[in-house]
Amino acid sequence: MTDTTVTVAAPARHRLALRVLPALLLTALALAGPWLAPHAIDAPVTAPYAEPGGEAPFGGDQLGRDVLSRVLAGGRELVVTSLLVAVLVTAAAAVLGAVSALRPAVGRIVERAADVLMLLPAVLGILLITLSWPDGGRLAVVTASFFLGVPYAVRLVAGAAAPVAASGYVEAAAIGGERLWYLVVREVLPNLRATLLALFGLRFVAAVYLVATAGFLQVGPQPPAADWALMIRENSGGILLNPWAVLAPSIAIGLLAMSVNLAAAALVPMTGRKAVPAL
Amino acid sequence: MAGSLTTTAQHEPAAGAGRLTHAALSAAGVVVRRILLLAVLLAVVFAAVELLPGDAANATSERGESAADLAERRHLLGLDRPVLERFWDWMTGLPTGDLGTSARGESVADLLSRPFPNTLLLGGLALLLTLVASVALGCWAAAKPGGPLDRAVSASATGILALPEFVVAVALVLVFALWTDWLPAVTLTDADGSPASWEMLVLPVLALAIPQIGWNTRIVRAALADEAKAPHIETAVLDGLPRGRILTHHLLPGALPTITAGLATSTGMLLGGAVVVETIFNYPGIGSVLAGAVADRDSPVIAGVVAVTGVVITGVLLLADLVRAWASGGRA
Repeated sequence: MTDTTVTVAAPARHRLALRVLPALLLTALALAGPWLAPHAIDAPVTAPYAEPGGEAPFGGDQLGRDVLSRVLAGGRELVVTSLLVAVLVTAAAAVLGAVSALRPAVGRIVERAADVLMLLPAVLGILLITLSWPDGGRLAVVTASFFLGVPYAVRLVAGAAAPVAASGYVEAAAIGGERLWYLVVREVLPNLRATLLALFGLRFVAAVYLVATAGFLQVGPQPPAADWALMIRENSGGILLNPWAVLAPSIAIGLLAMSVNLAAAALVPMTGRKAVPAL
Repeated sequence: MAGSLTTTAQHEPAAGAGRLTHAALSAAGVVVRRILLLAVLLAVVFAAVELLPGDAANATSERGESAADLAERRHLLGLDRPVLERFWDWMTGLPTGDLGTSARGESVADLLSRPFPNTLLLGGLALLLTLVASVALGCWAAAKPGGPLDRAVSASATGILALPEFVVAVALVLVFALWTDWLPAVTLTDADGSPASWEMLVLPVLALAIPQIGWNTRIVRAALADEAKAPHIETAVLDGLPRGRILTHHLLPGALPTITAGLATSTGMLLGGAVVVETIFNYPGIGSVLAGAVADRDSPVIAGVVAVTGVVITGVLLLADLVRAWASGGRA
C-alpha cells in the first residue's frame, strides 16, 4: 500500500534531500546557536547601536549588546516552541483525522470547528489567549498555536485517510470486530506516513509564523531574552544607526520560514497535491 | 443577497418560479448558517476570556493595590455579576454595537470606531492588490506549464507565502524608505486621524499583500492546471481558439470558485497581519489600539476586535458563497 509513495527513484530522492537539507541545517544551527555565541547575550560590548566592526561583526543593539551573539542565541526558543507545536498538532490531527474518516459524525464536528475558526485570524487568536492568560508565558503561546492549528490539520488528515478507511482491508478489520483505536493506530495511520510527514513540515512553518509574530507583538519571550522577533521590535528605533541589529534577525526568520516551507512543499506526496494547497 | 441570485436566474429562460424560490431559500440558508457560525465564535471568545486565569480588573491593578480596591474595580467593571448574565449581555450587546468595556472602563466600541475603518482600508487595498497580482502571476505561469517561468513563479510563491509580515515590512522599509528615500517609513495622520496621503499606504499595503500574493498565486496556478484537464478545454484547444480567449472565457470562469475561496481565506490573514504591519508603520488602525491592550493585558479590547473582525470575515465569506453559487449556476 505504502510502497508507491515510499519507494522513490534514486534521482528523485536525491532532489528531495537537496530541498530538505537547507531547512535541516538552519534548524540545527538555530538549536546549537547559543553555544556558538562569542559574547554574553545580556552584557554590553559596544556603544548602543554601534556600527559593525572590531569585537562585534554585526555591531551593537539598543543597549550595546553584541548583535551577532544575540542572533546566534535568539533562534533556539523560536525553533523549539515551533517544533513542539508542530509535533502536538500533527499527533492530535493524525488521531482525530483517522477517527473522522472512520466515524463520519466526528468528521462533521471537526468540519464545523474549522468553519468557526476561519472567522478568527490566527494573530488575533494568539493575542486573545495570551492577553486573557497573562501568566501563561510560553505555555499560552503553545496552547493558542495548538488550538488554532488543529482543525485545519484534522481536515487535511481526514481527507487523506478517507480512501484508506474505505479500503477493503480496513472494512474487513472493522467487520472482524476490531476496536476503533486498533483501526486508527494499526490500519489507517501506517498508510499515511508520507502525508503526516508533509503535514508536520507545513505545521512547523505555520508555527514559526505564529510564534515569531507573537514575539514581535511582545506577548512571547520578554526582555532581556534574546529572540529574533523581539530583537526586530526592540531595535527598530535604531535602524538608521545600525541596520544590522534589525536586518540580521529579519534575515534569520525569513530564511528559516522560506527553507522550511520549500522543504515541506517538496515532502507533500504527489497524489495528495490538491488544487488548494493545505497549510 | 437573494436579489443577486434571482437576477442570475433570470438570465436563463428556462428558470421558473419554483427555481427562484429555491434559490432564495438556499441563499437564506447560507446566510443563517454563516450567522450561526459567527455566534459560535463569539461564544468561544467569551469562554476563552472567562476560563483562562486572570481578568481585566486584575490586569490593570497597580502594585500595592489592596484586595478591597480590586474587588471595588471588579464591581465597577461588572465582573462580579454571574457568568450567565455577563454572557447574555455580551451576546445580546454585539448586534446593537456594544462591544463591552475595556479594563480601563472605556467603551470598546468607541475605542475602535475611528481606527477600524483605517484598518479596513489597509486590508481592502491589500486584498485588491492580492487579487490582481495573484491572478496575473498565476495566468502568466500557467501559459507555459512546466517551463522555466512557471517553475520560477511557483518556487518564489512558495518561498514568500510563509514569511511573517513584519519581516517583509523590515525589508521594504530598509530598501524603499531608508536607502532610497522614495516612500515614507512612518504614517503621518490628518487631524481626523486618517493617513495624510496615499504615499503613506504604499509600504503597509505591500508588506501585507506580498505573503498573500504568494499563497494565492499558488492557488490560481493550481486551479488553472486542474481546469485545463477538463474535456471542454481540450476541445477548445483542438478547435484552434486563441489562447487568450480560452483563458478568459473558459479557464478562469471554471477556476473562479477555487480562486474566490483562496481570497476569502486570505481575508483573515490580512486582518491579522494588519495588526502587525500597523505597529511597524505607526499606522492609525486597530494595531495601535491592540498595542495598548497588550501593555495593559486588556482582554475585553481584544475580544471586541475579534468580534468585529469576525463580522467582516463573515461578510467576505458570504460574498464568496455568492460567487460560487453564481459560477456553478452559470454552468448548470
